[in-house]
Amino acid sequence: MDRRTFVKQTVGGAVLAGAAAASGRFSRLFAAVPPVPYDLVAVKGGEPDAMFDVAIAALGGMTSFVRKGQKVVIKPNIGWDVTPDRAGNTNPKLVARIIRHCLDAGAKEVYVFDHTCDDWRRSYKNSGIERAAKDAGAMMAPGHTESNYHPVSVTGGKVLREAHVHELVLESDVYINVPVLKHHSSSQLTAGMKNQMGIVWDRGYWHRNDLHQCIADFAGYRKPDLTVVDAYLMLKQNGPRGVSLDDVVTMKTQLVAKDIVAADAAAAKLFGVNPDDIGYIKIAAAQKAGRKDLENLNIKRIAL
Amino acid sequence: MALRHLRTIRVVTSLLLFLPALFIFTDLTGVVPPAAVTVLTSLQFVPGIVKLFSGLALSAAGLALVVLLTLLFGRVYCSTICPLGTLQDLFSRLNRKRNSRRRFLFRRQNYLLHYGLLGLTSALALGGSLFLLNLIEPFSSFGRTVVTLLRPVALLLNNGTASLLGAAHVYMFFTVPLHIPSPVAFALTSVFAGVLFTMSYMRGRLFCNTLCPAGALLGLMSRVSLFRIVIDKAACKDCGLCEKVCKTGCIDSENMRVDFSACVGCFNCFDACPTVGLRYRLSRAGAQESSLRPVNRRRRTLLRGTAGAVLMVFPGKDTLRAILPVPTGKSRSKLPISPPGSGGTGRFTSRCTACHLCVNACPTQVLSPAFLEYGPGGILQPRMDYTLSTCNYDCVVCGQVCPSGAILPLEAEAKKLVQIGKARFVKDDCIVITKKTECGACSEHCPTKAVHMVKSEGLFLPELNEDLCIGCGSCEHPCPSTPNKAIYVESNPVHLTAKKPESKKAEPQVKPGTDFPF
Repeated sequence: MDRRTFVKQTVGGAVLAGAAAASGRFSRLFAAVPPVPYDLVAVKGGEPDAMFDVAIAALGGMTSFVRKGQKVVIKPNIGWDVTPDRAGNTNPKLVARIIRHCLDAGAKEVYVFDHTCDDWRRSYKNSGIERAAKDAGAMMAPGHTESNYHPVSVTGGKVLREAHVHELVLESDVYINVPVLKHHSSSQLTAGMKNQMGIVWDRGYWHRNDLHQCIADFAGYRKPDLTVVDAYLMLKQNGPRGVSLDDVVTMKTQLVAKDIVAADAAAAKLFGVNPDDIGYIKIAAAQKAGRKDLENLNIKRIAL
Repeated sequence: MALRHLRTIRVVTSLLLFLPALFIFTDLTGVVPPAAVTVLTSLQFVPGIVKLFSGLALSAAGLALVVLLTLLFGRVYCSTICPLGTLQDLFSRLNRKRNSRRRFLFRRQNYLLHYGLLGLTSALALGGSLFLLNLIEPFSSFGRTVVTLLRPVALLLNNGTASLLGAAHVYMFFTVPLHIPSPVAFALTSVFAGVLFTMSYMRGRLFCNTLCPAGALLGLMSRVSLFRIVIDKAACKDCGLCEKVCKTGCIDSENMRVDFSACVGCFNCFDACPTVGLRYRLSRAGAQESSLRPVNRRRRTLLRGTAGAVLMVFPGKDTLRAILPVPTGKSRSKLPISPPGSGGTGRFTSRCTACHLCVNACPTQVLSPAFLEYGPGGILQPRMDYTLSTCNYDCVVCGQVCPSGAILPLEAEAKKLVQIGKARFVKDDCIVITKKTECGACSEHCPTKAVHMVKSEGLFLPELNEDLCIGCGSCEHPCPSTPNKAIYVESNPVHLTAKKPESKKAEPQVKPGTDFPF
């Protein structure tokens, strides 16, 4: 810093401080500690978009996560060719609202994709997410092409040492993980960590080589900048695809956290199981990918 | 209207019908809605006839139109509606040497071969085997040629473009999975295309008057057509130009006769005639001039004899099955699985003309041409190949586009209960047993939860409820077990009805209105 800058800033600072003091805000200026760093925000009782509005506000607004000109990738669950009321995929209204917040925060581009299980075009369409995301101003990217996935090494992975990850996740500044909370026949529960199987190519390897360990290993590789668990509608049984509307319960709840393990631990409780009973949550916490000790976390609980 | 305009009308009509036909077989992303595909294909002669056997009389309007056209004007179908006909014209045009001199010559048609083949083909088809028909039927041969040889080219172009644009994050196009066609399908189709090319390059519409069963049948009808092309002996200058441009070689200018049963209605002759020596004439009025060559009685007897013999040798399905067997036994998982709506392998193989319209249209690309899976008679007919993909639960596209009624159209709700096969679980090959870890990929993808997971010695192991299984392959395809899948679908040779999945209304553990459980 040269002398001129120093003088300018000092004088400017003094003027500002003086002005603040003069207007009677002196005490508040010095009391402005950073916003309470909540580990987890849980909201219930509202619509998916309204719940996200209050949740993200509690975390300091989307500007805390997305800076001007950044590239954002949002990864909802679009795994299945089912309609929104079947709760097999993330709620389209929620996805659209997150996109809006990102764009309002100044994001240059917002991409949405998933490596689907059912036919991807039908899943994108019938989930309602393609339409909602495009209308909100995001770009829907295909996730079915192997050449878009690039090898990365999973450092610290016990079993999963390498994975092919979608390029949008690799090159984006901000990665937002938006799972829907569901029962899952393979892993018993799907929320944040399980949803990340949709950003990798070879899921068969995970299934072949200790599914829970691989899910936990990958959680240590790339932590999403934000995980939003959609539990507005929840698939309570016959997951992850669901067979009929009988499998769906209405929870009107949403969990938002930076820590994907904490989000999953809370999601497990909400679903009605002990986080310690879900293999990958236990392993991920043990491998320090995040925390599952909800009792020691700073949780903001909001009822609308 | 001057008759010479007929050629222009024919060229325009044929291209207007050919280009859409070409497109529906290379439509990689389902741009054309199935309903439009149905309208386009409803005019196709042989699939239309085969469809009649499925009792789809309502969709017979196209067939009726073709018959009516033929009874009025002869085989105009061959030069306008038939895409293989137009394809041959395109091949034929490549022969520049001939184009410069425009020389075709009158040739006596080989009726014995042509009608003999028609008889044999029909007899086999009536007996339940479309083996011969599928090798030479024009619409299906066209479809197969395009799907096998041209579609991969279109696909590579599409995928190249999609990758280039995708790298710049422009997702206007997207890649379509390339399944290498089976070597047999590729070889057979290449041979067919090669033969067709040579025939048309050398001799114009030779195929249409030697091998094509549609041409033979339409030729028989055109013998009683109301209007026929005749040479007006009074006006004819005997220049022979009409003969030189006749790609079927059906004009005998020397004797001023036209073999109208072999005429494909291209109208090149009207265009070439410097006078008005050629006419479309009401058959009765022109009976004298238009008469075919004197009928060779010995040949006719021979023809009848052959047809009769053919019909006697092949009286029914059972005899046929003995010669060209469709497997119906129980050789484990080796049985092919026919698509939902086809009723089963037996019905399917006797109705499918192997045009591969469904092979192109299937969004998950699970349909793959068979080699010997259906038996030698079912060669090239599509089967469900779960090593490639799965059948999407809510999708009914194959039945919507099938032009021959081999795959009947199903409502999505009905399709979800059609059991085309049943899953079989081989516990000893399962990851959960062999590696002692959780897996559950099969149950995860199962749309009816016929495959569900039950706790067994601390781990979740797949369990089957056969009644709920529809045989869609959603379990088999993702099963990560190598080298053998631990779960696979065993074909139902006759499709059955699955039980509708039912479950109790789920209850949340955490009741609404209570506090957060953490």
